[in-house]
Amino acid sequence: MSFFIDTDTRLIVQGITGREGTFHTEQMLAYGTQVVAGVTPGKGGTEVLGIPVYNTVREAQERHDANATVLFVPPRFLYGAAYEAIMTGIPLIMTIAEGTPVHDMMRLHHLAKEQGVRLIGPNSFGVISPGKAKAGFMAHRIFAEGRVGVMSRSATNCYETVYLMKRNGIGQSTVVGVGGDMIPGSTFADILPFFEADEQTDIIVLIGEIGGSEEEIAAQYIQEHITKPVIALIAGKNAPKDTSMGHAGAIVSPNGEGSAESKETALRTAGVHIAESTEDILRLIKKLL
Amino acid sequence: MKLLEYKAHEVFSAYRLPCMHGYTASTADEVKDLAGLLTYPVVIKAQVQTGGRGKAGGIQFAEDTAELLTRSTEILNMKIKDLPVHKVFIGQKVEVATEMYLSFTLDRKSKQPVLIFSTEGGVDINEIAENNPDKLAKVLIPTGPDLSDFVLQYVIDKTGLEPALQDQFRTFCRTLYTIFLEQDCLLAEINPLIVDQAGTLMALDGKIDIDDNALYRHPEIKEFRDEITDNPLVLEARSFDFLYIPIQESGNIAVISNGSGMIMSSIDLISKRGMQVTCALDLGGGATSERIAEALCIVAKNPRVDTIFINIFGGITRCDEIAGGVKNSLEYISQKRLVIRLEGTNKEIGLDILRTISGDLELVDGLYEGVDALAQGMNI
Repeated sequence: MSFFIDTDTRLIVQGITGREGTFHTEQMLAYGTQVVAGVTPGKGGTEVLGIPVYNTVREAQERHDANATVLFVPPRFLYGAAYEAIMTGIPLIMTIAEGTPVHDMMRLHHLAKEQGVRLIGPNSFGVISPGKAKAGFMAHRIFAEGRVGVMSRSATNCYETVYLMKRNGIGQSTVVGVGGDMIPGSTFADILPFFEADEQTDIIVLIGEIGGSEEEIAAQYIQEHITKPVIALIAGKNAPKDTSMGHAGAIVSPNGEGSAESKETALRTAGVHIAESTEDILRLIKKLL
Repeated sequence: MKLLEYKAHEVFSAYRLPCMHGYTASTADEVKDLAGLLTYPVVIKAQVQTGGRGKAGGIQFAEDTAELLTRSTEILNMKIKDLPVHKVFIGQKVEVATEMYLSFTLDRKSKQPVLIFSTEGGVDINEIAENNPDKLAKVLIPTGPDLSDFVLQYVIDKTGLEPALQDQFRTFCRTLYTIFLEQDCLLAEINPLIVDQAGTLMALDGKIDIDDNALYRHPEIKEFRDEITDNPLVLEARSFDFLYIPIQESGNIAVISNGSGMIMSSIDLISKRGMQVTCALDLGGGATSERIAEALCIVAKNPRVDTIFINIFGGITRCDEIAGGVKNSLEYISQKRLVIRLEGTNKEIGLDILRTISGDLELVDGLYEGVDALAQGMNI
């Protein structure tokens, strides 16, 4: 049993009638994910790829006993759509959009915690448990089923890593796109306990980057609670200060806060194996397996 | 988006937050036109996107119109930390009795706004935190539209703000917090927050940093986005929805990739081998061959660039589109060395297109191999 999504996940796609929503619903169905309903306000009563569309998350959830939702909605509508999913009590909410205002995410982050639901993303490729199900837009053919858990702020660094693993015969248990924004719905430290408890996961790979202090917080959690080996890569060592490197969250403050050095030091102290590059992650996995 | 000072004062004024009033001018003629509107003595402040302008001579005073013209012209011809001064902000000089510090910012750790106040100001806040921690209060604010009384009371008690200023201070904080929330600020800072001779609080200088992702909610601010950078390549890239990032002035390599993480990884590996990246360009997802050709032309315009490393792991981005873009831009980039790594969607079709191109393209299979090729070509 994978912890976030699995063959028994009953997924809603919010924004299913949009170009991206429809395309990726088709991809998710092809991968074997149970997409049970779509939601687009004003399009209730129609169908997309044979899947019924509703005006509200509540109706979709009640009719189809859905237990997860993925949001293919533009960033300016993310707050409203995620708010609706949280208040409907959908236990797992995955957000994709890049470019969500940080004040919106600040409110959603705390609201999801208060309501006891799990929010993943945004600026994320979603979640995949290879061979079982996926919710998001990741190119699933580069993933393989296996025993390494991966979570990443960056999509491209994660793709590079899992593809290298696949070509070397190593697969993943679950891969989570934590997302590249300043405030994620769930942090590395929020997700670590799931990998620790997951019977399918033997090794945990954390792909972080400059900016913020989630890696430092994760280091503390690893030191206190994680028994499985952890490998970490921090991207952005040579990025100039006070410059956003593309991801809204990937920025080192003028006073040096959020530097790769601070993150690597904290993780190393917690006993984490530090990788210098994506290839180095592969080398460390091979050593630990 | 970090607003220039005069723009921050405009935002403060719109919320009736007491602040310095003044006028902007970009030329000596514009300064002349203002002369009749001013009450002397005045202060003239360079509008540049950097700290330390006071020390650099970017803030000066004038007692009359003649002096105003001389000083303004001086500042408008100045460069502060390599940034040319395009604008000055001119206002009535204020007699300062006390300088303090106030800001609201986003604490990424707790994911809450944080209020920082100090009864000492006018210098860098980190300096105050180090030298005078007793005069500084830092408090997390429970997320919500209002600034609670207990938060302000804590700040007042911690810093020992004098009773005569407390009511004004509460109002001031509430207004600045409203600005912080309504204008989607990452930072709303007043330094110095001054008390004038009459005992009134006033923002003498302000910094506002607005979340780029929220600029669609603030079209009146977004309009001024382009006045902040002097780098024409950043602006040109922006007009095509690309992100152009200047990295190291002294470098000679440009990195083009389709994602922030991949750009950072490429720069890290290249730097580790002792080479230097001068700029990077993020294509984002799903770029077409026309757009890729534009991206190549943009980085090729940087005279520092002699080598372009294209590193693509295509999901939504298709390798055949990348190859098409290279082909279409060859005449503009033929002077540059090209190292290309393609992986992912339509990789083989992309490589086939590139193989038909006569010229010295270096095709590599993998990020590591790409960095190796870069190093070999530079005899490193």
